[in-house]
Amino acid sequence: MSPEGTSAPVAPPVPSGPGPGRLGGAPRPGRILLHAVLVALSLAMVAPFVWMVLTSLKSHAEVMSYPPTILPSVWQWVNYPDALGFAPFGTYFRNSMVIAVSHTAINVALAAMAGYALARLPFRGRTPALVFVLAAMMIPTFTKIVPQYLLAKTMPFFGGNDFLGRGGSGWLDSWWALIVPGAVTPLAIFLFRQFYLSLPRELEEAARLDGLGEFGIFARVMTPLMKPAIATVALITFENSWNNFVWPLIVTRTDQLRVIQVGLAAFQQTERTLWEYLMAGTVLATVPMIVLFLFTQRYFVQGFATAGIK
Amino acid sequence: MAAPTAAPPATRAVAGAHRRSRPLGHERRRAAYLMLAPGMLHLAWWIGVPTVATFVLAFTRYDILAGTMAWAGLDNFVAIFRDPVWWTAVWNTVVYTFFTVPVAMAIAVVIAVLLNTNLRARAWYRTAVFMPHITATVAIALVWMWMFEPNIGLFNWVLSWFGVRGPAWTSDPAWAMTSVILMSVWKGIGLKMVIYLAALQGIPHDLYEAAEIDGAGPVRRFFAVTLPLLGPATFFVLVVSLIESFQVFEQFYVLTPEGGPAGSTTVMTYEIYKSAFQRFDMSVASAQSVVLFVFLLVLTIVGRRFTGRDDVA
Repeated sequence: MSPEGTSAPVAPPVPSGPGPGRLGGAPRPGRILLHAVLVALSLAMVAPFVWMVLTSLKSHAEVMSYPPTILPSVWQWVNYPDALGFAPFGTYFRNSMVIAVSHTAINVALAAMAGYALARLPFRGRTPALVFVLAAMMIPTFTKIVPQYLLAKTMPFFGGNDFLGRGGSGWLDSWWALIVPGAVTPLAIFLFRQFYLSLPRELEEAARLDGLGEFGIFARVMTPLMKPAIATVALITFENSWNNFVWPLIVTRTDQLRVIQVGLAAFQQTERTLWEYLMAGTVLATVPMIVLFLFTQRYFVQGFATAGIK
Repeated sequence: MAAPTAAPPATRAVAGAHRRSRPLGHERRRAAYLMLAPGMLHLAWWIGVPTVATFVLAFTRYDILAGTMAWAGLDNFVAIFRDPVWWTAVWNTVVYTFFTVPVAMAIAVVIAVLLNTNLRARAWYRTAVFMPHITATVAIALVWMWMFEPNIGLFNWVLSWFGVRGPAWTSDPAWAMTSVILMSVWKGIGLKMVIYLAALQGIPHDLYEAAEIDGAGPVRRFFAVTLPLLGPATFFVLVVSLIESFQVFEQFYVLTPEGGPAGSTTVMTYEIYKSAFQRFDMSVASAQSVVLFVFLLVLTIVGRRFTGRDDVA
């Protein structure tokens, strides 16, 4: 890439006026054009969300009419209770919430401990352990999903299985399968390790001199300083869990245990034209993340920056 | 305040040094193992074992109903590579990646550069661009499905303003792949943009000043200063995007169900899903997973070569 840029013998003619204007004091028209471009881009990015909300508030007749209206002629707020009555979106929503909250709590607790040990405690096998976590981070979902399913299915003593895991359905179609396998993520362990590495050594030493044990140092001195890191890991975990689709799709059959993403896909496949209810459902499935994101952006961005720039 | 507290630790340090000489190392090791155990055992059981098991299953004939397993050598691989549908899936995955990743990366780097100015409302633009990334793929794919609706959908209505009669999008074999790519580009820009933005903020300002003094215009500065210095970030974005792109599943599952119109949009992940969870042929599914894994591995290594050193970030 770089050779192309530097090989041009003469500076290319400066395109009239606009341009990033990076060094401040850019000409005014340039700024206005820049804003115009960015506004157009931003609108393109949020348009699907706007269309989703607007559709969810139109009557069925209006949704099915052509040409479409932009704003609902009558704002059908009743679509939401109607959709909840028509399909078990409420149950789906609750299931997703239970799973995402459990994943977040378990992951923060266990990954923080593991990340702390990897960052601050010397022990034999630390390097292999870290390499293992990094390798686990790189394993694609579809490289492990088939045996994961078999492990869940052959869980001994569950779902009618004998002690060798034969005969029944094991963890399939149960909260166990929905919660346990995805409860700890290598990414969270890695992120915590990076954050714990950044704390000064003196803190640890001072606490040790004050007679605290290793767990006390972890729980009462170091971790309370990590609130932003905890927020970051918690948000990323919640997001991944809430948005997860493939695993809940393959381990659940009954409506009672469906998560909202799976429920929505199933709804669309059976009710092909009830777009206003479907959009009401997608609002339920997306709005929690959007609201959470709007209030906690900097933690998200911090997480990606830490994961990206080692 | 400082003086009284400073003295005791010094004396205690001496005393502590004696007390902890051996027990400390021991205690810390014990603590380390106890704190690591839950997380690492979980990873070992739910990621380590399954990964190894995929490679084992790929070389066996495993019957999920009878619970029997027999050595099969390369039979599973021979079977999938004789299957024209698998070849279509591989080709479709490559096509999807080829169009989605570079396009989204190019748009993302441009947006990142535009946003790397002290603009008013910069945070709002960034939020808008990033928002698709944090929302669920399935939910948002359903919204796109609605926008792609051929008769009353948003896209064909907008196209009709310009006198264009829009295609049937997701149900037209010629346009189904394009539909999914469009949605994926839209969804993929945000994360790439954020990573680029973080990298841009690490580029020293004087480089731009020096380039400007040497008479480089904004475009030249972008190609001669910004892009080369974004090398490590580009590598990171590329690898992450390729891995994500080769594993694409939800968009295809929702927008073009059952492998798409006339099987025109089946991808590797969908074939794995079909083998494993519709035909319950776990051995073939594992062989397909192994092929997918090899693709990802090769791409990662080639990406590393191509973009140069990656660890300088």
